[in-house]
Amino acid sequence: MTPRLNAKIAVTSLIVVAIAFAATVGLVRWVLSREYRAPERSDQAQLTPRTQALADEAAAKAKADREKPYQEESYRKFPMVGSRVAVWVLAQLHLLFAAFVLAVPLFALIIEFIGWLNRDERYDELAHEFTKLLSVSFSLTATFGAFLLFMLVLLYPKFMNYLMHVFSPTFAPYVGLFFFEAFFLYTYYYGWGKFSQVTHLLLGLGLNVVGTAIMLIANSWLTFMTTPAGVSESGAVISTWAAVHNYTWMPINIHRIIANVAFGGSVAAAYAAFKFLNAKTDEERAHYDWMGYIGNFVAICAFLPLPFAGYWLASEIYAYSQTLGLTMMGGAFSWLFIIQAVLIGNLFLGANYYLWLGMGRVQASERFQGYIKFLLILIALCFAVWATPRSIIATVSETRAMGGGAHPQLGYFGVMSAKNTAVNLLILTTYVSFLLYRRSGRTPTVSWAKLGNALQFAIAFLAGATVLFLGIYGYFVEAKVRIGLSVPQVSSVLFAMIAITAIDVLMYRNAKSLGEVNWGRIHPVSQYVLIFLAVTFTWLMGLMGYVRSGLRQHWHVYGVMRDTSVDAFTPTLGFATRVVSVTVLLFFLLIGFVFWLASLSDHKPGHAKEHA
Amino acid sequence: MRVPVGLRILLLIVGATSFYTLVGQLVPQKEVQPPKETELKKEMTADELTKAGKDIMEGKGLCTTCHTFGKSGALRFPDLAGIGARAATRRPGHSDVQYLAESIYDPNVFIVPGFNPGMPVINKPPIGLSDQEILAVIAYLQSQGGKVTVTLQSKVWPLEAVAADAQAKD
Repeated sequence: MTPRLNAKIAVTSLIVVAIAFAATVGLVRWVLSREYRAPERSDQAQLTPRTQALADEAAAKAKADREKPYQEESYRKFPMVGSRVAVWVLAQLHLLFAAFVLAVPLFALIIEFIGWLNRDERYDELAHEFTKLLSVSFSLTATFGAFLLFMLVLLYPKFMNYLMHVFSPTFAPYVGLFFFEAFFLYTYYYGWGKFSQVTHLLLGLGLNVVGTAIMLIANSWLTFMTTPAGVSESGAVISTWAAVHNYTWMPINIHRIIANVAFGGSVAAAYAAFKFLNAKTDEERAHYDWMGYIGNFVAICAFLPLPFAGYWLASEIYAYSQTLGLTMMGGAFSWLFIIQAVLIGNLFLGANYYLWLGMGRVQASERFQGYIKFLLILIALCFAVWATPRSIIATVSETRAMGGGAHPQLGYFGVMSAKNTAVNLLILTTYVSFLLYRRSGRTPTVSWAKLGNALQFAIAFLAGATVLFLGIYGYFVEAKVRIGLSVPQVSSVLFAMIAITAIDVLMYRNAKSLGEVNWGRIHPVSQYVLIFLAVTFTWLMGLMGYVRSGLRQHWHVYGVMRDTSVDAFTPTLGFATRVVSVTVLLFFLLIGFVFWLASLSDHKPGHAKEHA
Repeated sequence: MRVPVGLRILLLIVGATSFYTLVGQLVPQKEVQPPKETELKKEMTADELTKAGKDIMEGKGLCTTCHTFGKSGALRFPDLAGIGARAATRRPGHSDVQYLAESIYDPNVFIVPGFNPGMPVINKPPIGLSDQEILAVIAYLQSQGGKVTVTLQSKVWPLEAVAADAQAKD
């Protein structure tokens, strides 16, 4: 067919359709006009039965609208992903930025203080550079916080109403503290070099005190949801202070402060790595290598005691409710801790690898290189033990062959005795890596150096042996004894770290230098390790945030206010990890923006030569 | 070809995140629904009541989160296999029903030697079983090596009610 013919057919079709439509309308009108009408017996307007029915319907609707009672909505829906996921992602993003904003001032203040004590400007500059990341992050924290609050009020109005009923006295101080936070943060950052050093340090102290106070208030809200206190059986408030000071409030406070520092240090180290990899000169590389080292040092120092704070938190959850504790460790969330083991294992491996690579920048560090393989073997073994589950995913025939869900031999590594032993030995091993790095390029000059070395070795060996012995002993004692064994295990490792550090500090005072530290002369892989550590820390925070919140399962406030929404179920771990990953990627997208903004105000580091 | 640093960093972040997501997909996947109510009818037979008790213990009651049936070794909470036979001998002066009822309504009065206190009060939130549901649980526990004597008409709490109930039956 020709195009001309096609056009003719199209026009004709349109005309036919128009005529058919007009004919249909005319027909309907004619039928309606022929509708039955009652004989005319009054002066009232004559209505057809249909018009009357429509009028009645409209009147009934108007009456129903007038009489409609007010009903408070329990839930509203968020399109596409649902309310829970929307709030989950926003809460996590808010928490990640808040953690960063709380952590950076903490270690910036410590670094500035060290610089002030030693009259060393390098530290002052470093602290200033860390705080460059703060102002945009603070705005993002507040934005996500406000967004989260609006979403909670919008999507969970009844639940939020209840939280306001319990915690309304805490809101005014919270908002007030936020103003002080802004005041201290901006005067601390913009007042750098413009006040006396002591005044500036005091501003930093104020920033940290106010920031921590804000966190303590917010923590009371979320911990109350898991371990409520201070309310009657029906949820009426008896004591707001008791609601604030619930079972898990203080353990979460401590855990979060430490975790924030670890996370903040790792993100700051990632920033330094980003700058190192983009550096054009040796001077810049030296500066950012040093900055990355300090950031990572802060992160790992905070990371080492973190499992101990975790024990305390877990023990308080058990003390509040054994059911809650067992849901966490032995029920729906037990496999989550296998994922956690993979993450923490990677953190330990990454942190140690970075330290070993870092030895390359120190002259005369070769004498310690031989120890690395033993440390690596120990870390790998502990990692394997920690990541071994109690029960294994197996086919029916495999389960039959094993004689149950647990492997006859490997199953022994799946219980808490083995896990506690593994993590304590991992901490001890990482500490030894630190010690070796610290000693690279130096040799002690004190007369008792041999004795000091022997003493340090003996303490480390005894601590390791104690941890191992108690771990094995745990298999042969009843539950109530076994639970208590984690305390001496932790204590022996903590004692070893403190005692060995004290000896080392004394022993290496006035130590002889065997070679220089060549800042900037480190394999670029080390910088990718720093970024990997930051991603892993962030992901770990997302995962543990999920378990802390998800533990309540179908309760908004455990045992007090039930979740009756469509999202009351606990999702699969696969789903949860996908949400965590999306959040982590969003966070890095945004923090990349913060890094870029911070780079805009760059100036060439003036003291890099001194680091080199 | 040299890959730009920015792209490398992006690949590292996406790669690490993908790896952890993959680990999350490899572990067992279980969606936990809120507990369902078990239907209880007045005219239930002992077998039906026992079956309902089992369902409640494994579901709404959350009993099997802590307790096991037929396990030995270093346990965190008492194993319940054979509890129907043992219950009457646990506490002097207590019948099996009295002992089981006390363990559920006021669990910290008596702690099995070798174990720590930890059992929650079952008729209060967050578990919050009703009196009828607790009767079904007691029936199931009695069936573990003992004889089922409770019905949905029984009164088991407070303890004095058990004696009064027994007298009324006599």
